[in-house]
Amino acid sequence: MKRSLARLGGYLIGFASLFALWHVASVYLLNSVLFPPPGRVIAKAIELAQDGTLWENARVSLERIGLGFLFGSLIGIPLGLAIGSFAIVRRLLEPYTEFLRFIPATAMITVAVIWFGIGEGSKIFLIIYTTVFIVIISTAAGVSAVTPNKIRAARSLGASRAQVFCYVAFPATVPYILTGMRLAMGNSFVTIIAAELVAANAGLGKMIWDARLYMLVDQIFVALLVLGLLGFTADRLFRWGIYAFAGRYSPVT
Amino acid sequence: MSLPVARSVVLALVRLSGVSKTFRSLQGSDYVAVRDFALNIEAGEFFCLLGTSGCGKTTVLNMIAGFELATSGSVEIAGRPIRSPGADRGVVFQSDDSLYPWLSALGNVEFGLRMRGLPRAERLDRAHRYLDLVGLSGQGHKHPAELSGGMKQRIQIARVLANEPQILLMDEPFAALDAHTRAAMQRELMKIWRTTGKTVLFITHDIEEAVILATRIGIMHAGPAARLKGIIDVTLSDSERERTDDRFIAVYRRVHAMIRDEVAIAMQRTQ
Repeated sequence: MKRSLARLGGYLIGFASLFALWHVASVYLLNSVLFPPPGRVIAKAIELAQDGTLWENARVSLERIGLGFLFGSLIGIPLGLAIGSFAIVRRLLEPYTEFLRFIPATAMITVAVIWFGIGEGSKIFLIIYTTVFIVIISTAAGVSAVTPNKIRAARSLGASRAQVFCYVAFPATVPYILTGMRLAMGNSFVTIIAAELVAANAGLGKMIWDARLYMLVDQIFVALLVLGLLGFTADRLFRWGIYAFAGRYSPVT
Repeated sequence: MSLPVARSVVLALVRLSGVSKTFRSLQGSDYVAVRDFALNIEAGEFFCLLGTSGCGKTTVLNMIAGFELATSGSVEIAGRPIRSPGADRGVVFQSDDSLYPWLSALGNVEFGLRMRGLPRAERLDRAHRYLDLVGLSGQGHKHPAELSGGMKQRIQIARVLANEPQILLMDEPFAALDAHTRAAMQRELMKIWRTTGKTVLFITHDIEEAVILATRIGIMHAGPAARLKGIIDVTLSDSERERTDDRFIAVYRRVHAMIRDEVAIAMQRTQ
């Protein structure tokens, strides 16, 4: 209780100093219309929240991230487990993973729009694409990091091979899976904004692009602020998940 | 005529005869760990296998555990050949990385019972009983990371005992503990052995540990291609199993005399 209060206090002071620094830089150092102070940005954010545009754009972006991230993880985890468990699967799939992971999702935006259109399809494809390889690689790494003694102990306690997989190899890999997903979440934010900047009909990236056309600097900053907060929250949720499951022994973060 | 044979079959719980184990290195060269190895472990005894590092004593244990298969020869438990790991042979490892850190101490202890499909009530009952036996009453809710090295080894022992195996295979389980904890764990293990009457195969390179614990000590030649050099019976009473006791020292000297040359050979070979 006392420790979590201290942690919360630390965050609050950290955020307060961030906003204070921002205010000082904007009002006293630069004093430019192109760099609005936090007060003006927050006022603009309230205005945009009241007329609904902020919620709508944030919801659209989050939904894309959420869906793509979910499907990407659902595809990546079993593939990673299979690659980590069976050498033959590793050899078969490594050309895919090792080839494709060096083609960044942002390079695929144009292709995605041509294939899946300007709507949700292309965005979700890109988020899946940006998620899946990181999750595969860290899951596979997690499987190979399970110490042989854990497997041997289970076998000599009477576990079948299937049980070893379900009750030993998989739970031992979970921290690695969560870490991979956490990294993928960061990439998803990068990818979705890039995709929405290039071609979209809604979303936080689209909001930034529209604001640019009319020189609405305040609105750009609202989008940036919201992105930062959403990313921070998503990452905290993940870290909390890792801690809740794996914090007791070997947090890989 | 058949009586002596029948008797020895009944008495020897684990029997190794003519066992060789060859490892192939990545470069393709062969390493013979043990050659023509023979050993009988009788039901109820506390057998210490003593040897220098690299003599293949862990290889012997791994073959009995079923983790590794003999290249030739026969490895049997209760007359049946060993082909894979099984719940009849409980293994206590030197390293606590064999524990499941995502499970509580209780979860670790009941793991084998859960895998084997015992009903929950019986599992918990047995797990608590063995946690009590190893001196971890009321600590079942803690996770391994919250426990000291000695306590983690106690969980390992309880986890194996809860499964009620025919033999305990212990691979230098106290080697990573500090001297005081190690001495305490040795006393605990003696107590547990006396309470449960389990057969134990205990691997160690520590003469003193072997003399404190064993009813018989098997001394191995230095590797490679190691065999058993000799077996020394330890008939000390509990009160005599003290480092300062005269009879303890006498046994220690006998064991030391037998292993001394092997240590010298092992040192030469590793240099």
